[in-house]
Amino acid sequence: MASLITCPHCGARPKEEFSVRGAAMPARPSPMAKDEAWHAYVYIRDNPKGRYQEYWHHAAGCRRWLVVDRDNLTHDVFGVTDAADFVQARGIE
Amino acid sequence: MSINLLHRHVLEDYISGFETDPNPNHVAVSRRPVIFSVLAHRGQETAVAEALGSAHGVVLRFCSPSEWLLVSRTAGPATVAGILSDIAGASFADQSDGRVLMTISGPSVRNILGKCVAVDLHPEVFAEDYSANMLFCHVAANVARSGPDTFEIIVPRSLAGSAFEELLEMGREHALTRGFSD
Repeated sequence: MASLITCPHCGARPKEEFSVRGAAMPARPSPMAKDEAWHAYVYIRDNPKGRYQEYWHHAAGCRRWLVVDRDNLTHDVFGVTDAADFVQARGIE
Repeated sequence: MSINLLHRHVLEDYISGFETDPNPNHVAVSRRPVIFSVLAHRGQETAVAEALGSAHGVVLRFCSPSEWLLVSRTAGPATVAGILSDIAGASFADQSDGRVLMTISGPSVRNILGKCVAVDLHPEVFAEDYSANMLFCHVAANVARSGPDTFEIIVPRSLAGSAFEELLEMGREHALTRGFSD
């Protein structure tokens, strides 16, 4: 796991300050979506090898949700964005 | 500045009690600091930050883009609450009883804090008046630099004992002393 994460609000921080939630790419279905869509969102997840976007919570720092773009094979971190900006950039789905 | 410990027996402090006279490296704990937590409403972050920055008699500590701690050693809680209630788009809570304020100072302060936090505290990176939340001795704390060799640490009350003990342990090789500041 990448050991230094550059938080956009706090700067370079050790991974111990964060808690990881999971993949950031799957879009949450609407509350009225079909059971199949919710089943796919909750249970059917990829387990990719390589570049991966993940929700990280900066629990011991700014307490903001971040999206860490990293490679889970080489431990490279390509970018860290605030989750609010990430959702805004992805647009309304 | 080095403090020679060789002439002291290793169990000196344990037998005759820990020193209470401040050494060059010293932790001072405030008995009654005034600490308020301030949160900006969505979209009001910049306006609230500007209003807080121009408030007099209080020191601003950065927590996150929409959260700050307001610290005062001179103004009373009623005065600080008065300042804050005049700021539009902000919610605040008196945290004075819930937080502990410690000031650590001395020539070895960066060596001591280097064992407590995993953040670069070099003055070029962590300049004077800079503050941030970070893990301090396994506790989520707010650390601020208030002088070239002075740092202020705000920890939650329930974890203050643990953080304080660990800080003293880390400062032991630098003869770190402790006491109340008032």
